[in-house]
Amino acid sequence: MMRIRASIATIAMVALVAAGIATRGAAQDKTLTIGVLGPLSGGAASYGVELVRGAEMKADEINKAGGLKVGNDVYHIKLVSYDHKALAADAATAANKLVFQDKVKYIIGNAVGATCNAVQTVTEPEKVLFSFVCWGTNNLGPDKPHSFRAMLSQWEVAEPFYRWVKEKHPAVKRVALISPNDTSGKDTNTAVVKALKGLAFEVAADEYYERGTKDFYPILTKMLATQPDMLDVAAAPAGEAGLILKQARELGFKGAKGWTAGTNPFTIIGVAGKDAAEGVWSPTNINVKSDFVSPTVRRFGEEYEKRYKEVPGVIAVANYAAFDVFTKAMQDARSLDTDKVLAALTQKPFDTVWGKLVLGGKETYGIDRQFLYPVVISEIRDGKVVDIAQVLPAALKK
Amino acid sequence: MSIELLVQALLNGFGLAMVYVLVALGLTLIFSILEIINFAHGEFYMLGGYITYYAYALFGLNYFATLGLAILTVGLAGVAAERLIFHDLRGRALNAFIVSLGLLWVMQAGAQLAFGVLDKPVPSAFSGVVRVFGLVMSVERVVVTLSAIVLIAALYLFLRWSRPGRAMRAVAQDPDAAALQGVNIDAASALGFGVGCALAGGAGGLLAPLFAVSPAMGALPVVKAFIIIIVGGMGSLPGAVLGGLLLGGVEGLGALFMGSAAVNILGFLMVIVVLLVRPRGLLSGA
Repeated sequence: MMRIRASIATIAMVALVAAGIATRGAAQDKTLTIGVLGPLSGGAASYGVELVRGAEMKADEINKAGGLKVGNDVYHIKLVSYDHKALAADAATAANKLVFQDKVKYIIGNAVGATCNAVQTVTEPEKVLFSFVCWGTNNLGPDKPHSFRAMLSQWEVAEPFYRWVKEKHPAVKRVALISPNDTSGKDTNTAVVKALKGLAFEVAADEYYERGTKDFYPILTKMLATQPDMLDVAAAPAGEAGLILKQARELGFKGAKGWTAGTNPFTIIGVAGKDAAEGVWSPTNINVKSDFVSPTVRRFGEEYEKRYKEVPGVIAVANYAAFDVFTKAMQDARSLDTDKVLAALTQKPFDTVWGKLVLGGKETYGIDRQFLYPVVISEIRDGKVVDIAQVLPAALKK
Repeated sequence: MSIELLVQALLNGFGLAMVYVLVALGLTLIFSILEIINFAHGEFYMLGGYITYYAYALFGLNYFATLGLAILTVGLAGVAAERLIFHDLRGRALNAFIVSLGLLWVMQAGAQLAFGVLDKPVPSAFSGVVRVFGLVMSVERVVVTLSAIVLIAALYLFLRWSRPGRAMRAVAQDPDAAALQGVNIDAASALGFGVGCALAGGAGGLLAPLFAVSPAMGALPVVKAFIIIIVGGMGSLPGAVLGGLLLGGVEGLGALFMGSAAVNILGFLMVIVVLLVRPRGLLSGA
């Protein structure tokens, strides 16, 4: 009798193990392909690189844990990324490739405003869920229900930032702005000008340059002739922002410096040099080593630095969080169907690397598709990024 | 608008024009001798930038020694490119055009793989600013401009007085006649390509501390170089200098009056006007 019981137990165990192996085998057969777009070369390459790395970290985390369990299926996540060089035409081509050739239903990551508009001409009609860090008012709206912004934009950041400047640095009265001559740049300057006027600052200059410009002497000569108290390199990417600050210093500018859309001050220090970067305030960046950020962001920063030998900026954290939110919504929906996942996404806040992440923005965009989290203002001091204040976007206060 | 501001704008434009003239001279030298328009010329400029980054910024070599190293190394790379790729394409403009485009992509993609896609900052070699009558320019830019002028003068002397320089001019004027006079056409072509690339490498080395280096950094100077040689006249050294000064002046003043975004159009407008009025350039043959 004992022998029969032992045999039954052995058979049962073998069956269970076999079933387990079979399940694991089946899981390995299922692959969920997720697209990532971004400028991976050229002046804005730092954005794309961070997007891909943020996505890679989350995807690897999920894969190492055995895959993404959605309903009864387990998926291995595969990333496909394309470089669009910050060009709208290339972005449209890349989006077409992702959707029609690679058959992706999720694109988690893209940067530079005009390229987002181009991608949306493909993603919205195909009901592909698309998350990005592009800055442009027209990237979100009731006509684009499948699009999400994973990072705070100028419309959330400019007002609380300049309110802080007014309170803490009352000597700043005249502000000169410079941004790239594209959707991101124009939208950023528009938002900053609106915030400045609302707070009774004077706009000394509101200028644009072509992406890829290296010599800013000509435009800075014109801007600095207006004698601003503060120079805001608004939507300039790190490399170009660093050059602007370096050359402004050479031309004798000694006023306050801001970088409303600044995403990685560590890069700006390298390009501008310690002296020219000294004192730059940035409300968009996140310093992953700061006491102002949550322990989860600090941990993410440590992992990222260990893996890529660089300190991550806000874009990497934002895309990691977006990846987290989307995959959690797939699990909640128990489906990969984008209609069901969309419904799950908009039902409740998600616990992410940021902490509790809220979707909002209806007042600005007419639809709640903007990820909201607190704004941390940092300052570059002696070649280091130091967080000095935390303020809340108006939408998050509500 | 004050006179001071106008002069500052002109100074801004002229300041770096001499460096772009270096790139243009290399391009026009290669065209004169091999009848090849090298679209990958900007990538040799990029190589000069990366040599400066590694030798000067990372390994702490003296800045001028680094510049010499960039000129020499990129020059040798140019000789190798001529021997291995362009040698058999001499005079076959269309084939050379396609091959040079291919080389551009290969070198750019290679740089992305080898050096990464992000901008690499090169620390300033000289600090401080020069102020004269209210005009401002960084010491670094003054040194860069003067260095470029020295290199242009050295090229002029080399082409004018040295034996290999005269051989290159002879090949540019009439390769058959030069061959009959005993000039080694192959050697002159390789040297011409090498010197042309060396000038681009020198320009890359000069501008690296001002602008940082990246795989795509060659695109802008090569566009400016094309404008300069079309305006100044293909194959003309004084024409390239004049074209550079005109482009610098137009860009400096354009940024002041029309904004930075419109500046790029001005260079091309200048090209259209020159092509309509004097199709061979302002100083062609000079």
